[in-house]
Amino acid sequence: MATTQSTNSEEAPITPKKSSMLLDPNEYNKSDNAANSHQRNDSSYSRNFSLIDMYGEEAASSPTGPDSNDHGSTSDEQLDYQMLQSLDEFSFGEISTDHNVSQQTITQIRDTPTPQPPQHDEDDDDEDRLEIRQQYVIPTSMGNETKILNSPFDRYGFRKSSTHHGFTLEEYNDWFKEYSEYSYRRKKKWELLMKSHGLPIQEDDPVPTRFPPKSDKVKKMIRKGIPPEWRGNAWFFYAGGYDKLNRNAGVYHQIVENTKNIHNKDTEVIERDLHRTFPDNIYFNESIDANGNTLTVPLHSKETPLIKSLRRVLIAFAHYQPQIGYCQSLNFLAGLLLLFMEEERAFWMLVILTERIIPKVHSADLEGVHTDQGVLMLCVKEYIPQLWSILGTTFEGERLSDDQILSKLPPVTLVTSSWFMSLFVGIMPTETTLRIWDILWCEGSKTVFRFSLTILKLCLDNPEFDGAKHSPGGEADQIELFQFVQNFPKKILDCSNLVDLCFKKIGGYGFGSLSQDEINKCREFVSKQREMMNYKRRLSTKMTSEERYTLMNSSDGQLDGNNDIHDVYGFHRPIMGGVVWNRSISNKMKKTFAKRNSSRSST
Amino acid sequence: MSSRKKTLLKVIILGDSGVGKTSLMQQFVNNKFSHQYKATIGADFLTKEIIIDNNKPVTLQIWDTAGQERFQSLGVAFYRGADCCVLCFDVTNEKSLNNLTSWKDEFLVQSNVSNPQDFPFIIIGNKIDVDDSKKIPSLQKKLHNITHNQLGGLNYPVFETSAKDSINVEAAFEVIAKMALQQEELNAASGGDVNDDYNDAINIHLDGESSGCGC
Ligand SMILES: Nc1nc2c(ncn2[C@@H]2O[C@H](COP(=O)(O)OP(=O)(O)O)[C@@H](O)[C@H]2O)c(=O)[nH]1
Ligand SMILES: [Mg+2]
Repeated sequence: MATTQSTNSEEAPITPKKSSMLLDPNEYNKSDNAANSHQRNDSSYSRNFSLIDMYGEEAASSPTGPDSNDHGSTSDEQLDYQMLQSLDEFSFGEISTDHNVSQQTITQIRDTPTPQPPQHDEDDDDEDRLEIRQQYVIPTSMGNETKILNSPFDRYGFRKSSTHHGFTLEEYNDWFKEYSEYSYRRKKKWELLMKSHGLPIQEDDPVPTRFPPKSDKVKKMIRKGIPPEWRGNAWFFYAGGYDKLNRNAGVYHQIVENTKNIHNKDTEVIERDLHRTFPDNIYFNESIDANGNTLTVPLHSKETPLIKSLRRVLIAFAHYQPQIGYCQSLNFLAGLLLLFMEEERAFWMLVILTERIIPKVHSADLEGVHTDQGVLMLCVKEYIPQLWSILGTTFEGERLSDDQILSKLPPVTLVTSSWFMSLFVGIMPTETTLRIWDILWCEGSKTVFRFSLTILKLCLDNPEFDGAKHSPGGEADQIELFQFVQNFPKKILDCSNLVDLCFKKIGGYGFGSLSQDEINKCREFVSKQREMMNYKRRLSTKMTSEERYTLMNSSDGQLDGNNDIHDVYGFHRPIMGGVVWNRSISNKMKKTFAKRNSSRSST
Repeated sequence: MSSRKKTLLKVIILGDSGVGKTSLMQQFVNNKFSHQYKATIGADFLTKEIIIDNNKPVTLQIWDTAGQERFQSLGVAFYRGADCCVLCFDVTNEKSLNNLTSWKDEFLVQSNVSNPQDFPFIIIGNKIDVDDSKKIPSLQKKLHNITHNQLGGLNYPVFETSAKDSINVEAAFEVIAKMALQQEELNAASGGDVNDDYNDAINIHLDGESSGCGC
């Protein structure tokens, strides 16, 4: 056993295969390029600009297939019928030949214990970077599903189950049997949707690079899950990745070049985290062999291509966003992105995420985390008051009054903070996280709040939560609750159910109607409160009266209109004053509670 | 559940990222080592019941923390009420040794303990299994400097451990448990209340913001 294992097990996943790469729109559009030849200098830049139109506003009026109107408004039932009719067009044979190569790669990884000869020089970093990328995700097809079912690893190379998971291998497989059929059906629907928007799937490249513009229909489709092997391209498209990339052509590679030999505090921490990112994923752990055994002998002696990519992306990011630098948890985000897209794109997705979607969450002071936890707790208090009555205490079990919510965030925020920082990566089963990511890249940060609330509400509804709930407060109870909330998400395998609970009008929790506008307003409010709080904190801590005086009279602009000394003592308006709540979902929640309580007491 | 009467001792493990805090805790609680632990985000805890001095059953609640500095801002709440604090460094990483003083200070500020001068700390130098050539040169001398000479020196028990080969881990936690128990009894005797002035001082009513504030 040891002899076969000690040979280079990391070679298997490397083998780059051309035809299964993620298609670059530049490539895609090469034929059009002749017509645009007047834009020839710095061609990739100018050519790409013309592409913006295709997925920007213009996309809405882009030429669609003749039957697009029918499809655009069809219900799922109709789609099913049409799907049956057009099944010959999506012949199985074609699809599986399309994926032959990646299947072969996977076969090499999982079925053949003998490693393949290396196909590229491992000594040359540049070569790695420029290499045409292999597809890491096993595409949805009938044949593949069976293979996955029999493998210790999932579609993405993660170990399906281990002691760190909240479910057994059997439970996983039971779920997967059903879910893989669902995924297959959804993919067929996506193919129809694409066709109806004049974006039919190419036979030679089954992974589309362009997608239908955002619409209610598209949103619905996304919420039901993007085909796994399309995810990278779809996320990139809907997050505005092309725009970002086109405006920064070449920037990433330049940064990588410039940071090649850099050594600082950030790179030190990055280095330590590389191998702790996805130790249970074959693409990130060179010591997992084809049979799923973990070798103990040659540790980190060789690095997988994705480990190298991860290093470059994180170092480049730390350099590009110095106000963030490297923050632990970014490794999870970059790592997951890298399974789905090449590193330049993964880099820009990280930038989009930290600039636009969850700003300041990873900044040096983690201010965004504190703000968002404040918002989340205000949401809990408003929309799940029953849960707030349990969680709204200090570690010692002391109740938090309304004006203490933001200054003394309850213990549970220590758990939810990590939800925001790692965007559920490693918090929930992989597919569940990915379903949330599908929605997040299209719909924005409200998604994180909506799902956090859904998960918290699910906790509350869980019978096991009951025990701790009914006993009187006290530290031990808070600890039990803390642990429950921490472990509970690991068990949420049924991702479709979670999505339904979040969004379904009937039978759902209603958090799908929490609007981005509301989140933004509340964020602004909490952020202002925190600014004031920090200001007061500075005033109240060991400071001579002279220092205090100087600080208060300094016009650092942080607190415009608040230089008045009276503010130090505060006002008596309740903290909720600044937020206008969405009454409709609040009322809905209250009604649901009332119903449940009455049915409970009657039984 | 029925063990409520048992003494609960709260232990906080601090130290730079990568020194082996998670591994130490796992080795002690679950008797296993793996290179597979994911980096810790936020904070995490495990509990283990042990018997001290052959007759006193206690529950250790051990808090593992994220080592990156910025995570300190999340940690305020659970430091409070700690009965012992473990300061960890990596015997192959000098910086992690030099940072011990900052970790101690950070803990004292955040936990707001009532007896900072004699609060029980313990120092663990982890990864002694690695090759001597990789270890901090003249470690004992540097360690001595830090524990004795520096202003506010860290004059605390020191254990050299390997979470990987399970060397000294058990022994270190036994001492940790004893020290924590002493602290707990001390607190119980003095009414158990930590000084709350600092937090009350900042816990002032907050303004509902300028809307309609023209008056
Ligand atoms: N050789 C050796 N490596 C260790 C030991 N303890 C931890 N490590 C390794 O050091 C790295 C960081 O460990 P971890 O427990 O995650 O550190 P933390 O960030 O302080 O929690 C991991 O790669 C561990 O495998 C040890 O006693 N000996
Ligand atoms: Mg750790």
